[in-house]
Amino acid sequence: MKKIEILTIESLNRSPLTIEGYLFEGSDPKAASVAIVGAMEGKTVLPLYSASKLVEFLRNEIGNKEKIRGNILIIPSINHYALNLGERFWPLDKTDLNMIFPGYGAGETTQRIAHKVFEALSGYDYGISLETRNDLSSCISYISLLQSGYEDIPSARKCGLRLIHHKEMKPTDTVSLQYNWQLWGTKALSIICPSDTKIETDGYKEIFESMVRFLYAIGSIEYKVMLGYDSNIVYNKGIEIVKTPKSGIFIPTKKTGASVAKEEMIGKIINALEGNVVHRIFAPCDGVITCVYNNGLILENALAFRILKNASA
Amino acid sequence: MQIKEIFSSQLPVGEKLTIKRNRFSPTEEKSGNKRVSIVSGIHGDELEGQYVIYLLATWLANNPNALRGTIDLYPGVNALGIDSITRGFPIYEVDLNRSFPGGDKEFLPGQLVDALAQDVKGSDIAIDIHSSNIFLREIPQIRINKEFSEATLPLAKKLNCDFIWIHDAVTVLEATFSHTMNKLGTKTLVVEMGVGMRLTKEYGVQLLNGILNLLKSEGIIVTDEEYEQREPFSSEIGDVFYINSPKSGLFVAELNHCAMIEKGQKVGSIVNPLNGEILEELFAPNGGIMFTLREYPVVYEGSLIARIFGNPDNEKN
Ligand SMILES: [Zn+2]
Repeated sequence: MKKIEILTIESLNRSPLTIEGYLFEGSDPKAASVAIVGAMEGKTVLPLYSASKLVEFLRNEIGNKEKIRGNILIIPSINHYALNLGERFWPLDKTDLNMIFPGYGAGETTQRIAHKVFEALSGYDYGISLETRNDLSSCISYISLLQSGYEDIPSARKCGLRLIHHKEMKPTDTVSLQYNWQLWGTKALSIICPSDTKIETDGYKEIFESMVRFLYAIGSIEYKVMLGYDSNIVYNKGIEIVKTPKSGIFIPTKKTGASVAKEEMIGKIINALEGNVVHRIFAPCDGVITCVYNNGLILENALAFRILKNASA
Repeated sequence: MQIKEIFSSQLPVGEKLTIKRNRFSPTEEKSGNKRVSIVSGIHGDELEGQYVIYLLATWLANNPNALRGTIDLYPGVNALGIDSITRGFPIYEVDLNRSFPGGDKEFLPGQLVDALAQDVKGSDIAIDIHSSNIFLREIPQIRINKEFSEATLPLAKKLNCDFIWIHDAVTVLEATFSHTMNKLGTKTLVVEMGVGMRLTKEYGVQLLNGILNLLKSEGIIVTDEEYEQREPFSSEIGDVFYINSPKSGLFVAELNHCAMIEKGQKVGSIVNPLNGEILEELFAPNGGIMFTLREYPVVYEGSLIARIFGNPDNEKN
């Protein structure tokens, strides 16, 4: 394993930000190469944890270096400055780094960071970006694959996660890592991780295993884990939106990943000052809860749940 | 004068978020009357538009008989952000001006921008007033997407601004208010002026004059007042030169914002307060007007320090 420095930026009062990659050189030059990006933003730790566990796995647990066949680059964290402050975005100007690719070497600080990172990530056969949802919700771990015209569904299936969201492009997706990576010839996908800020010991496992499964399936490593799901391809029309007509304290009574039946209670809203239940939320259809609003206090008309309708899966 | 809530959401604890519009209508409603919408505060840390809209509301209240069309004022779109010095929509931490057109089935910020777009829809003209951000100070300028410039450039020239910056179409900017409204058939202009978190009174008065001038020339107000207009310089006839900081440190400006400068003139220094060292001195790469200047002194390598507009200098030596 080689540790490579991708970029260092000085700061007036903080330690320099040094972004590092862990490069595992494969034994077979013809084997597929992969680059993996962990945390691009702060306020959540699963992308960081999963990526760092993968570094440990490839370094210590896979046993034999020969078993790493293709080049594997892992960048566990890009935005240390945000992670260390519990901020989500670049702390000075709140730029979302995943909205600034492919970057620009002579531009703003964050454009320069994106540019250097993108340079390091370019040329790999496959790419995985670990992300979290940006709408104040948490979710089951799933793959987000843009309808970019360059996307590769067969490789996304190799992660064996339950869902692949084949996502319609929005204007802001054109500056995401995944899109630009694809544009430059890498079969890139995003694994959207639950937005947990506290994690249990094994909280990384599903994401971690999906990456190991992927690495095995594309021939980058010789290490087999159990088969995953035969992924469901999901489109927006297959997702039922559940809004709350009342504000207050939000208590989901069902978690992400739960199968629910139509008219089953999935959550309730409590009057924040008087403690009484002001609204009960019922599932509008049979299905699986994919996303739950991730805050104890909820605004009127906020999106409380997303349910993948059974008939559409 | 007629105040309406165009969007509301009860907050979790004893409070309601409301986005308000104030409508000034002519005493005589006629078919064919035009409608103009003035919007500000989509970014909660930008306040210059609040002052301009205040001045305009005062003028309209004092001149009720001048009105021949409808004028809608939306001074505080990101109401929670404005009251908490937050650029994006608080809680969700999302930039509303990257969330358009939004929709009823989206998360709450998406519902909010949808409500705004639906309400402004049908206006003949919209003006979205921004004040840069807390980092940069800007002279009053209009930003125009080339895609819509045929319709919007003639209007921009009437707004009494100093600079018209026509930029190429960028896909990510399709998520802005102005792009959405232009697509919906409302000729929409973006004003950038001043600096975040502050009011620049003279700019407010300057833009008010421009807006009144535009309203008068469009026949929306009738008044004997004459509005002197500046001749804006336009990015069509020159280039924009950027100075980005080569080092991280504290930026100390040498010149004032708006200064006319020559190539090689010193713009400022990047210093280190801890040891008194000058880390880097910055010089103008080209002559012209320095229309953007760094306001927030803490910089990283790459931070934008200044923008200069001018004609490319010939090799002089
Ligand atoms: Zn703005």
